[in-house]
Amino acid sequence: MKHLPKYIRPRWRYLAVEIESTPDAEIDRGTFQRELWYAAGNLLGDPGSADADLTVYSFSFADGIGETIIRVRRGETDPARAALACLTAVDGEPVGVRVRGISGTVRACEERYLGRRTRGFQQRHVVFADADRPAFSRDDAVAVSMPTGFVSATELDFE
Amino acid sequence: MYEAVTAYPVGTSTVSRHAKTAASYGYNGLVVRTRDADYDAEAISDRYGIDIVDAVEITADNPDSVSGSVGNFRAKCTLLLVRGGTNALNRYAVETDRVDVLTRPMAGDGNFNHVLARAAATHGVRVEFDFGPVLRSSGGQRVQALRGLRKLRELVEQYETPYVVSASPTTHLWLRAPRELIAVGEQIGFSAEQIETGLKEWGRLAARNRKRASDSFIEPGVTRGRNTADDQ
Repeated sequence: MKHLPKYIRPRWRYLAVEIESTPDAEIDRGTFQRELWYAAGNLLGDPGSADADLTVYSFSFADGIGETIIRVRRGETDPARAALACLTAVDGEPVGVRVRGISGTVRACEERYLGRRTRGFQQRHVVFADADRPAFSRDDAVAVSMPTGFVSATELDFE
Repeated sequence: MYEAVTAYPVGTSTVSRHAKTAASYGYNGLVVRTRDADYDAEAISDRYGIDIVDAVEITADNPDSVSGSVGNFRAKCTLLLVRGGTNALNRYAVETDRVDVLTRPMAGDGNFNHVLARAAATHGVRVEFDFGPVLRSSGGQRVQALRGLRKLRELVEQYETPYVVSASPTTHLWLRAPRELIAVGEQIGFSAEQIETGLKEWGRLAARNRKRASDSFIEPGVTRGRNTADDQ
């Protein structure tokens, strides 16, 4: 179909979102988009969710951290932020999300807010809860592998 | 703004990990609800530039055992929280001056009414708006949580009961930035100011209790030493 003339095209806002999860979590664009739509549908209802749009763009996730751009209709950024805050797990893995900023174009969004986090983690062993345990560390955050799952700590806990 | 978290060993993130995330989200302070948590508040504050408040959240089945714990822990912590969830516990907490915050009043079988709202205002006990189930559950459970929050909000507005707001995270991944909480609050009928006041109230309470615990404090309005303008 022929695209709309510029003055009646919908106006968008792009949310730069940072994602964090456990070191062994595997999240891809499809699952993240599905959970986001569920979260929006549950909180805002079908009409609100349709208004907000919430399409996931340029998704990247590896080693327990990631970032993405979410497209939202202009004027619906507050409901979108609320729906995003309700996204607390993807495939049963707890997930932390935070809006770093909002831009009017994808490019501005990427340049201004994304791509600044350190990637990759070191595998090592730490003494935690009276035992030597495998752990993953990045910057000063350390995720210790325990029999019940990961416990998140920082270097301060081992000093 | 402050957030009240459950840390390791009850939750799955240590206090310092919570502090690192909370500081990057723009919080000024962190209230640690967990009694058994092992941490060095000063080192964490220095590293991440965030105020760490030691608190104890008392969980018990009946007012008698809560009463014992209140006596035990009041002098040992800055903030004393009592977890509600039954009518007897809610009633006990709001009528006890030594309690700072009644948490999760609407969880489980707990309920709240005009008598409790008035008592809480008289005794200066803050009631907590727990956003945990709103953020992390769905379906019927969430509907009940929302219904509870709405009832509590209407009572709090009517009787001017002091309140606090928290997302009650047990891991740093469930911390949410203040703006996110405000956005959620606005969707479920709160005003932005209410959420902000609720998040700041933790800090105000902590500052008040620290002042009271300091050596120069004798009773409200009476302090030892030279009078300064900010004592007034």
